[in-house]
Amino acid sequence: MLNFKINSSEIDKIGNFTKEEKNFRLKNLNYFNDNGFPNKKDEDWKFSDLKTIISKNFTKLDIQFAKSKKEKVDFIKDFEHNYIIITNGELSASDFRYEEKNKINLESFVNDNYSNEKENNPLINLNHALSNKGYYLEVKDNYKFKKILVIYYLFTEDLDENILNSKNKIRIGKNSELHLLEYLVNSSKQNFFNNVYEDVVLENSATLKNIYLQNNKSSGYFHKYSVNKLFTGSNYTSFIFPAGLKFNKLDLEFNLEGERSECNLQSASFIDNSEHQEIKTRVNHLSPNCKSHQKVKNVLNTEAKGVYQGKIFVKDVAQKTDAYQLSKAILLSESSEFNSKPELEIYADDVKCSHGSTSGNLDKDSIYYLMTRGLSQKESSKLLINGFLNEVVDSIKSNSIRNFIKTKLQTQLQNEHKKH
Amino acid sequence: MLEIKNLNASINNKEILKGLNISIKPGELHAIMGPNGSGKSTLANILSGKEGYKISGELMYQGKNLNEISIDERAQKGIFLAFQYPTEIPGVNTSNFLRTSLNKVRKAQGKKELDALSFLKIVKEKSNELGMDEKMLSRQLNVGFSGGEKKKNEILQMKILDPNLVILDETDSGLDIDALKIVADGVNSSRNNEKSFLVITHYQRLLNFIKPDFVHVLSDGKIIKSGTKELAMELEKTGYKGIN
Amino acid sequence: MKNQNINYNQDYKYGFTTDIENIKAPKGLSEKTIKFISKVKKEPKWMLEWRLKAFNRLKVSKEPNWQKPKFPKIDYQDLYYYSAPKSMKDKPKSLDEVDPKLIETYNKLGIPLNEQKKLSGVAVDAVFDSVSVATTFKDELTKKGIIFCPISEAIQKHPDLVKKYLGSVIPISDHYFATLNSAVFTDGSFVYIPPNTRCPMELSTYFRINASETGQFERTLIIADKGSYVSYLEGCTAPMRDENQLHAANVELIALDDAEIKYSTVQNWYPGDKNGVGGIYNFVTKRGACRGKNSKISWTQVETGSAITWKYPSCILQGDNSIGEFYSIAITNNYQKADTGTKMIHLGKNTKSKIISKGISAGKADNTYRGLVDIGRKALNSRNYTQCDSLLMGNKCGAHTVPYIRNKNSSSTIEHEATTSKINEDQLFYCNQRGLNQEEAVSLIVNGFCKEVLQQLPMEFAVEAQKLVGISLEGSVG
Repeated sequence: MLNFKINSSEIDKIGNFTKEEKNFRLKNLNYFNDNGFPNKKDEDWKFSDLKTIISKNFTKLDIQFAKSKKEKVDFIKDFEHNYIIITNGELSASDFRYEEKNKINLESFVNDNYSNEKENNPLINLNHALSNKGYYLEVKDNYKFKKILVIYYLFTEDLDENILNSKNKIRIGKNSELHLLEYLVNSSKQNFFNNVYEDVVLENSATLKNIYLQNNKSSGYFHKYSVNKLFTGSNYTSFIFPAGLKFNKLDLEFNLEGERSECNLQSASFIDNSEHQEIKTRVNHLSPNCKSHQKVKNVLNTEAKGVYQGKIFVKDVAQKTDAYQLSKAILLSESSEFNSKPELEIYADDVKCSHGSTSGNLDKDSIYYLMTRGLSQKESSKLLINGFLNEVVDSIKSNSIRNFIKTKLQTQLQNEHKKH
Repeated sequence: MLEIKNLNASINNKEILKGLNISIKPGELHAIMGPNGSGKSTLANILSGKEGYKISGELMYQGKNLNEISIDERAQKGIFLAFQYPTEIPGVNTSNFLRTSLNKVRKAQGKKELDALSFLKIVKEKSNELGMDEKMLSRQLNVGFSGGEKKKNEILQMKILDPNLVILDETDSGLDIDALKIVADGVNSSRNNEKSFLVITHYQRLLNFIKPDFVHVLSDGKIIKSGTKELAMELEKTGYKGIN
Repeated sequence: MKNQNINYNQDYKYGFTTDIENIKAPKGLSEKTIKFISKVKKEPKWMLEWRLKAFNRLKVSKEPNWQKPKFPKIDYQDLYYYSAPKSMKDKPKSLDEVDPKLIETYNKLGIPLNEQKKLSGVAVDAVFDSVSVATTFKDELTKKGIIFCPISEAIQKHPDLVKKYLGSVIPISDHYFATLNSAVFTDGSFVYIPPNTRCPMELSTYFRINASETGQFERTLIIADKGSYVSYLEGCTAPMRDENQLHAANVELIALDDAEIKYSTVQNWYPGDKNGVGGIYNFVTKRGACRGKNSKISWTQVETGSAITWKYPSCILQGDNSIGEFYSIAITNNYQKADTGTKMIHLGKNTKSKIISKGISAGKADNTYRGLVDIGRKALNSRNYTQCDSLLMGNKCGAHTVPYIRNKNSSSTIEHEATTSKINEDQLFYCNQRGLNQEEAVSLIVNGFCKEVLQQLPMEFAVEAQKLVGISLEGSVG
């Protein structure tokens, strides 16, 4: 078993910090060193034993990483867009050609929140201790983006058993609106670990539409913790399309702080070949009249493991809450596995809260129906799988973006279908 | 076209069809009537090739034994089943599905596959004939369709696929009179010397609009009486209990 | 909606005490106590050894702490582990020899024990604190080869059966409270149904805690041999005391090939008063093994009492084609807390399980459904369906759903649904408009909400349970 204890001298190598910041980093480093990578004994990691996964696949994890040379970016040509380029977690370029520049603020991330609260997730501790890159994006009040903003997250070829710790923060000002495509492009050939901490704030009546798309499979091991604060009347829609990685955990927390705030989260993915994917959500309804809606779909093939842990929490004052959560999994192989823990914790009575979770093979009646129309068994399955996942894509409103995502997913699926 | 001899079928050790005989020639329209639980839908399922039944007896279609032929192959050879309860398939676009289906059938029959444009032309034409809203074609297959819309969608598929043997399983159930007329018109306009129809129904009502050449009464897994359309009228008066 | 608190001291009609002289074990948990219990019960040596093995295990095990309801530390040395009416010391040969005070107690509880008045169609084993007082219809059952007796008697008379099955579903090394029970269990029921026998009547045990500062640790073992059927019922009450009393029972069920066990519980232990003082800690381990092919175990529970209820009647579906069911109503009011649910472990092929859970929370209570559905890699073609509904009355209470779902093969299907809502205002209005007052309307609607579960109860108890559902919520809607 690898020893992943990290020497405190590593912090000095990252940079010169104020006493306060250094203490914060040291404290978090100690937390991490006390626990190491989380394992299945931790309730939140019950179905994802990261300690074992890391031990099996890594011989070391380098914290230091020399600056990579600029990666050539294969820009999306399907629609006009602004962009930001993040290389290995670091802000490297941006272009807001369609927007009013004075309404936007973009800079490298500087953390100034040295909270004393102890995070229970060792990976967040690790991030707090070691993060040294990332970006801060602010959309000022009363500004609606004219075109979508694409954030290209590039991972370079020279990554090899490195761990990247980055922090990003996005703030959408009052009455402002941003459409975002987070586009992950991976050129690395070797294993590396990407550990992201994200902080998103939607001020009153702000709107954020976000699509998270992994362009290709890779040997990246990903963990992202994202905390999202929604103030009065704000609206957050998020689509998540993971490509399937050796390890991929998205831990998303939504705090509906203001009345009438809404969050909507949908995800679709096809995972295969010993890939491990977990989506964990926690939606905290803290004010009255808020809405949350989650739909998570997984297709699991050979040796693939899918996990969904979703919790809806409703505080006693959060009357008239409308919260819904659905996870559906299709298991295609005898060796695939789906675990879910859809949880409700509710302290207000005038609420509508429900969840559903299903897992199993493709519906036999549907296959029968399609076969009576002349499709073979295999074609029927394929059509059903595509349909199952497309249902999520179809709720993306913009035509050009929907088609772009569809094409991307089709290519992924075609590659999968070919294999079987 | 279709020759069924001494057909026995059981599911989970329960006997449902007990020695059923029927013979349908090209161009003929046969109606099978019977009370609930008499085995009507089982017959439709077996003809389509649905799995799960234990079958003995002879099933001949166009002179060939159907036994070892899979569901999709039967469809490609021109057997069409209009479902009593068409399955809802979320995420699958109706129009894309129709095109995939049509091209499978065409390919099996040695015809050229249709491109999107010429397909669209056919679909538009056929759906107009049935008085269907074209918007339905861009919706998910049968999802959120009303009972009538689902049945019309079945008839639309029948028209597009142009099969040799059409089996209508209780297509009239749950339809109001206007929808029933549209469905019946759809069937009537498809009738010709080569196509055969097997219309399965509980009520005589549908047969006011679709005139059968022959009527059979199915009871307890057997045909207990056969006749012409007058038999249906008689049934209407006496009920199934009156027939013996 | 306004909340009104109710006074349980008036509504808990089983809250009386029976004034009777007791024999008690020395206070506290020790080897001495265990030897005392074993000696009083005239147990063979192997049984004492078994208990001591559990006790040794207990020394190194810890109280679990993952459950939602937290409770103050229990001082295990400040409890009596055995208490029995003095008159029961020399076992009465027949009912005539039983202390009339005891018979009167059961009469008051609505469980007449004497021949003329005994409940028709229900054989009752009455357990008072740590001993079984009487078992009715014994002769009739014996004729069919059915064994229905206190477990202490079974240990003496049917050691082979007890040795073979005791601890085979809940091993002594299980969690803390189960192990504690294995060390100090006092009495409970033993049931054996011989092959191809349908038990002609409901078997029932009625548990009564009377003595103060006493824990009740009963142990129930039910074995349904090949092709047999039994329906078993358990009821519980306790006097009102302002101390918390511990009830840590173990129930083991074993169903062999083609056998079926139906186990129903109406749990109405003293819930504490409206300020949350007193009440029973009901920490119970119930587990059934569908060991044979085509076997079936069905749990039904109506949980209205106890300060804290904490139990998960579970099914281990080992045999191919076996079936597990769990039907539950848990009602919590005032400061009551319930954390209950089930585990369905699918191991055999074509196994099926069904979970229907209805949680109702009022006052300042907390109600949690916690469950596990685990379909193993080899449990091909298995199915689970789960439906968990929660009803909240007022915003001082909580309702929680914590299901763990694991599907490890593609031929199996799991469906889980859960909802949380309040009483439908339209339904209330409709009932009011038809002349029902608020409480009647609530009782009616809640009973409707629970119907699927109530239907599972044997006729004799369904009516009683329905009333209980109404009573438990009285005053929760103003």
